[in-house]
Amino acid sequence: MKEIIRLTVVLTFVCMVAGLILSYVNSATMEARAYQDRLELLNALNMVLPEHDNEADKDVVDVAGTTYYLAKKDGVINGVAFKTSTEKGYSGLIEIIVGVENDGKIIGIGILSQKETPGLGSKIDEGWFKDQYKGKTLESAKWAVKKDGGDFDQISGATISPRAVTGAVKDGLTMYAQNKVQILGGSNVVQ
Amino acid sequence: MSFSKELVKGIWRENPVFILVLGMCPVLAVSTSAMNGLGMGVAATFVLLCSNAVISLIRSVVPDRVRIPVFIVVIASFVTVVDLVMSGYFRSLHHSLGLFIPLIVVNCIILGRAEAFASKNSIFHSIADGIGMGAGFTLALVILGSIRELFGNGTIFNLPLLGAGYEPILVMILPPGAFLTLGLLTGVFAALEKK
Amino acid sequence: MKDLFVSSSPHIHSPEDTPWIMRQVIYALIPGALIGVYFFGIPAVTVIAVAVVSCVVVEALWQKLTGKDITIADGSAVLTGLLLAMNLPSGSPWWLVCLGSLIAIIVGKQVYGGLGNNPFNPALVARVFLLISFPVQMTTWPQPRSFFSQAADTVTGATPLGALKTAIFEHGTVTAAPHLNLMDPFLGNIGGSLGEISALALILGGIYLIVRKVISWHIPVCYIGSVAVMTGIFWFINPNMYADPAFHLISGGLMLGAFFMATDMVTTPITNKGKIVFAIGCGVITVIIRLWGGYPEGVSFAILIMNALVPLINKATKPGKFGAV
Repeated sequence: MKEIIRLTVVLTFVCMVAGLILSYVNSATMEARAYQDRLELLNALNMVLPEHDNEADKDVVDVAGTTYYLAKKDGVINGVAFKTSTEKGYSGLIEIIVGVENDGKIIGIGILSQKETPGLGSKIDEGWFKDQYKGKTLESAKWAVKKDGGDFDQISGATISPRAVTGAVKDGLTMYAQNKVQILGGSNVVQ
Repeated sequence: MSFSKELVKGIWRENPVFILVLGMCPVLAVSTSAMNGLGMGVAATFVLLCSNAVISLIRSVVPDRVRIPVFIVVIASFVTVVDLVMSGYFRSLHHSLGLFIPLIVVNCIILGRAEAFASKNSIFHSIADGIGMGAGFTLALVILGSIRELFGNGTIFNLPLLGAGYEPILVMILPPGAFLTLGLLTGVFAALEKK
Repeated sequence: MKDLFVSSSPHIHSPEDTPWIMRQVIYALIPGALIGVYFFGIPAVTVIAVAVVSCVVVEALWQKLTGKDITIADGSAVLTGLLLAMNLPSGSPWWLVCLGSLIAIIVGKQVYGGLGNNPFNPALVARVFLLISFPVQMTTWPQPRSFFSQAADTVTGATPLGALKTAIFEHGTVTAAPHLNLMDPFLGNIGGSLGEISALALILGGIYLIVRKVISWHIPVCYIGSVAVMTGIFWFINPNMYADPAFHLISGGLMLGAFFMATDMVTTPITNKGKIVFAIGCGVITVIIRLWGGYPEGVSFAILIMNALVPLINKATKPGKFGAV
């Protein structure tokens, strides 16, 4: 009986001390971690948005299940960013962030996460591939890879991943075009 | 055993990776680049050093029957500290190591040293053992990571060493490359040991 | 020489030794290699020459450096080189071939202690290593043309199995794949690895090996048979989703694998029962990869996976001692 009490006391004591230390470290790093979380989103947004002076990660509108991040300069919206994703890649989900000017012209795209084959499909994250979407609108380009008669280069040896990205960006743009009034509405819109 | 002897043995004669073949899971999984290897090595060394010191300190008051739960609580606490700090201050490293940071808890080098060394030796020697074993683990990970990054990506610590025309041997940064490189390096170590 | 011992009688006298066996296999591969040269031209000759020479050189250098007897005269390095070349696209650059030789000889064979100790087929180890490392180069297939029409630039295209996979991925049915006249893969007029294109030439070589008793019929027959039966069942169930068995038998690396690589004495089971288990395993895995896997072709993976199981198969199929309970 004495033995079991001793075991319990020691174990409880060790766990208590561990818990105390951890709760301290948790609160001490809380701010830094929240800042890093925000930094990640901000970095992604800055990649695809024009120069702005508002906090784009906080200036958001939710329309039809998608969050739209608004970039503003002097209080006027000059760009919108949104996430789009696809499961039509070679393996798993591809998450993409797209930044557009108000009229829907692409400023840039970024790949947030992908698990495509390294060295083949993973090349969708290379600069030359993402750059070919710059300046394109829903109307100005044929939204398919060249192999399917469209305007976008596929990657040599991998057609599926570029096709998936192109499709996802197109879907995102379509959604944006459909909900443009609601997304931009209310604020001071420059057309 | 002197302090320096305990320190050095982990680097070569009892290298945890190449000689003791411990902690293979993180070794194989995160050695895709020299930087990842270094980050993982430093994180594990920190945990190893702290847990060795604490366990050696409390070894006389911990009853034998609950020593393993106590060791695990101590180790897990330090791992959580590493996880939180890394997430707050070294986010990109935290991303690339991912799940393998929390998994340091079950890295058998750490529990192994706690059980086999720290619970039987003075805090002084336990610290030396922790640093030495950690250094050996880090060294192994950096060697492995450098080789895999060099052939699989043409760089070491992101420095391009093999030139722009180099065709990376992709398999080296994929899981089979980890097994191949580890196997060949273990062979090299064994051959050197024999001499 | 300390490893040699004389067992109790009876003793068999036979002309078979390692160089003799290697020579027979090389002879048997020649028709397939010649077809490759005929359809792919000078680049194919280069690939074969580079592979054979680099394998021999690597083996000699390794044995010299590690202070072992140099055994390049036994022909096994030549055979590995030839098999490797036949498993590569004919347009492979020289460095790719040399790297393959290095992997085949050192990682595939010498680190285990040389010929006789390697668990995996060296040429296949190299092929898979290259396939994973250089997916673009290893899936760029020059299309066949007659040796005598060398004027035009080389055209590349898909292999029949690759086209099949693309058709299923894009259209959800195999009927969207370009129609294939089965005489083409039979004679070798298709895209593919240098030495896998002509089923006819490989079958002739395989029959030669069986007649000379270098290999037994068990592995080729059971391997090819199990692929035929399994693809046949799925084709029967749904011919829109699965290609017919004749297509599966005659295209890809099945013939090359079944006759020449799944029969490698060192890396396959000893007993006939074991060989049958091994071959059926190869067939099932090949079909699983071809029908549902990410890669269009599964012969090399199937043989390597079954190579890994050989010790288990040997243990399970070891004949009992006469009279033992």
